[in-house]
Amino acid sequence: MTDKRKTNIKQKLISLLPIAALLVLFAAFLAVVSINGYRLDMYLKIVFNEALVLVVVATGAIFIYTLGTFDISLGASTLFAATMGVMTYNNTQSLILMIVAIFAVGITASLLNSILASVFHIPPFVTTVAMMSVLSALSAQIITSYGGALGGISIPSEVVKPFDNIGFKAVLLIAFFAICFFVFQFTKAGRRMKFVGGNPICAELTGIKASKYTILAFVMAGIGIGLGAFLTLCYTPSVTTTTASSIGMNIFIAIVFGGMPISGGARSKIYAALIGGFSYILLNDILEIGIDSSAAYGITQVISAVFFLAVVYVTSMNYRTALLPR
Amino acid sequence: MNKPVLEMKNISKRFGSVVALNKVDLAVYPGEIRGLIGENGSGKSTISSIAAGMQKANEGEISFKGNRWEPASMIDALNKGIGMVVQESGTIGGISVAENMFLAELGSFKNKFGLVDKNKLERKADEALKSVGITGISGRDAMGRLDFQDRKLVEIAKVIMKNPDILIIDETSTALSHDGRQIMYSLIRKMRDDGKSVIFISHDLDEIMEVCDTLTVLRDGNIIRTFEKEEFDADAIRSSMIGRELKGDYYRADTECTSLDEVVLSAQSLNYKDNLKDVSLELHRGEIVGVGGLASSGMHDLGEALFGALKLDSGHVICGSGKEILSPHNAMGQKIGYVSKDRDQKSLCLDASIKDNIAIAGMNIFKNKMNLVTSFGEKKYVKKQVDELKIKCSDMDQAVSQLSGGNKQKVVFGKWIGCGSEILILDCPTRGVDIGVKQAMYQLMVKLKNEGKAILMISEELPELIGMSDRILIMKDGEITREFKRSSTLSEGDIISYMI
Repeated sequence: MTDKRKTNIKQKLISLLPIAALLVLFAAFLAVVSINGYRLDMYLKIVFNEALVLVVVATGAIFIYTLGTFDISLGASTLFAATMGVMTYNNTQSLILMIVAIFAVGITASLLNSILASVFHIPPFVTTVAMMSVLSALSAQIITSYGGALGGISIPSEVVKPFDNIGFKAVLLIAFFAICFFVFQFTKAGRRMKFVGGNPICAELTGIKASKYTILAFVMAGIGIGLGAFLTLCYTPSVTTTTASSIGMNIFIAIVFGGMPISGGARSKIYAALIGGFSYILLNDILEIGIDSSAAYGITQVISAVFFLAVVYVTSMNYRTALLPR
Repeated sequence: MNKPVLEMKNISKRFGSVVALNKVDLAVYPGEIRGLIGENGSGKSTISSIAAGMQKANEGEISFKGNRWEPASMIDALNKGIGMVVQESGTIGGISVAENMFLAELGSFKNKFGLVDKNKLERKADEALKSVGITGISGRDAMGRLDFQDRKLVEIAKVIMKNPDILIIDETSTALSHDGRQIMYSLIRKMRDDGKSVIFISHDLDEIMEVCDTLTVLRDGNIIRTFEKEEFDADAIRSSMIGRELKGDYYRADTECTSLDEVVLSAQSLNYKDNLKDVSLELHRGEIVGVGGLASSGMHDLGEALFGALKLDSGHVICGSGKEILSPHNAMGQKIGYVSKDRDQKSLCLDASIKDNIAIAGMNIFKNKMNLVTSFGEKKYVKKQVDELKIKCSDMDQAVSQLSGGNKQKVVFGKWIGCGSEILILDCPTRGVDIGVKQAMYQLMVKLKNEGKAILMISEELPELIGMSDRILIMKDGEITREFKRSSTLSEGDIISYMI
């Protein structure tokens, strides 16, 4: 076998590692559930519901990560969109208006990040840091003002009950993923976003307006936030100050699990959100089921961190080839 | 003869399927300036980077000053006596010149509070810069604000201040102006006079024959021949380099100034800081206009200004259709392409593939009826460019970072030619490319001219300007000082006094 063929095979294998890891984690999950004698159907449903919001928001966020930046306000934006959705429903009793409000708030919050970044000529992630504080504070104010002693605000569960089934959620996930995949792979915008992420100076000198694609990326992320907020309410029709609080960091870990390069650019992969999101939740659930002690949470976090570093190291081997200096 | 200070025996290096060096022997002696020459990908930089600790050989033995040589890194090698100035930028933009120069030893600049003493650091950097004759750059300057030439000069100073026994300079002169080159040459000669050695890599045959005492030719990872000074012969060296005779003309064969009357691009009284002062010019269809001058003359800014990449203080760039060029996006819409001198930073996305880099400018051409970018259309489009430009690669999915300088430049050309650019602004288009690729590029420029395309070529190489241009505009201190028409009698001597 030639060296070139060996290199190609090695690179192919490394690029398949995230899928292989997902399959291994799934097998491990089945084993852990079975060993502990739990009901598999119930646990699969839990995994799906837990992963769903993460995967949806992460899929939208891939566009931002592709630009070589990141959004730390994703969790706060999801919380704020859900909060405003609940408030809208409670004031209008209209499901449609609630959905419109959720998406409008999700997209606006995300869009605001990119517009502020364009106006002030600062990296988008800087504005997301500020936005995270603002949106968290606003949500907390609304929730504590209207939630009172209950510590949360809610809508009647019957309102979203028709949507709280695996079939509907799966269709929604597939549809959103398909749209994002299409934009990412088959449109000029998707290709240009990758190029901006790879080298913004070169992109500018190739006639690509980085600010335009930054705004578009945040719009896509905003749709993901809106959808994530809606699905959050479908699963639990109440919102507290901790709803979706960890989603921003979880997305970062999840997409890396899925094979997304941290620096974004040409090697970005839209499916990283799907694979990584499910892998991350499976890993967490395996550890939580498997480790039966008071320190379970801490141990889970440590193992996740080690796993994260291992994935970054292995996936980076694919492009960290020896440099031919000429 | 003295014992060699550096002896490399049986050195092999492979990068995946590519054999970069094939059992190569190289001995460098004290007080010797050894030139390394060869086409892109011949192995010059690879063998020197192994000596400089940038990477390790797969096979072979190296001894330095009689001892086994196994540096852990470039810094280790530099501290032990072998320093290298690399071809592309080897500095970090976000920190100061001084921090770049003393990056590996910031710990030795701590004050009594354990913090880095910036004043001391900058003072030392200033001393080091001054000692090698570099003025106009301060240790306090932000590296990111320096131009390519100044960054290179800082790199040279950074290596020289460590007083190495062997200095390796990899294809650096093309980044330097006349003054910068003089600084470099004087440093090289001083090293020789001090009994030290220099390994000098360049694609400029005239330069390397002038500077070096001995010259080793590499081709496809093998050493073909080593010439002593008295054996230097340009034709023999060229033949050794490429293993064949260069067929066809090198520069343009004609000596006539030819172009159509139609003006496709005009600059009207461009002003930009102190770099462009009331610059006006016209570019005609089927014309090659050369722009020459020192690196600081403003000619590189002119290229960016014409492409709409600079926010001008005043003036207008108007294309043939009458539209004003206000941004690169605008310029692309008017079928203008721009090849930057700073290829890796401004013209390529290094992590992306050849396919991605070429296709990015041509999506409007290969998109399907539904306005979608399909893999089929993209591959067909890119393959045409790869084939026509003869880009050496394993396949079009290969990362551009893995290509040689010449092939990288071909990718940039492919990007702009493929998308149907009618006007090409080429800033130092043959920087860092070998003689064979240079010839191919010159022939390509002639072909484009004959097709009615207009080319504005900015270059620091006078033979290239004289050999290729219909008209040559010379710039000095931001102004166009003189225009020369193509002529068989035009010489470098006629031009140079208007540059300096």
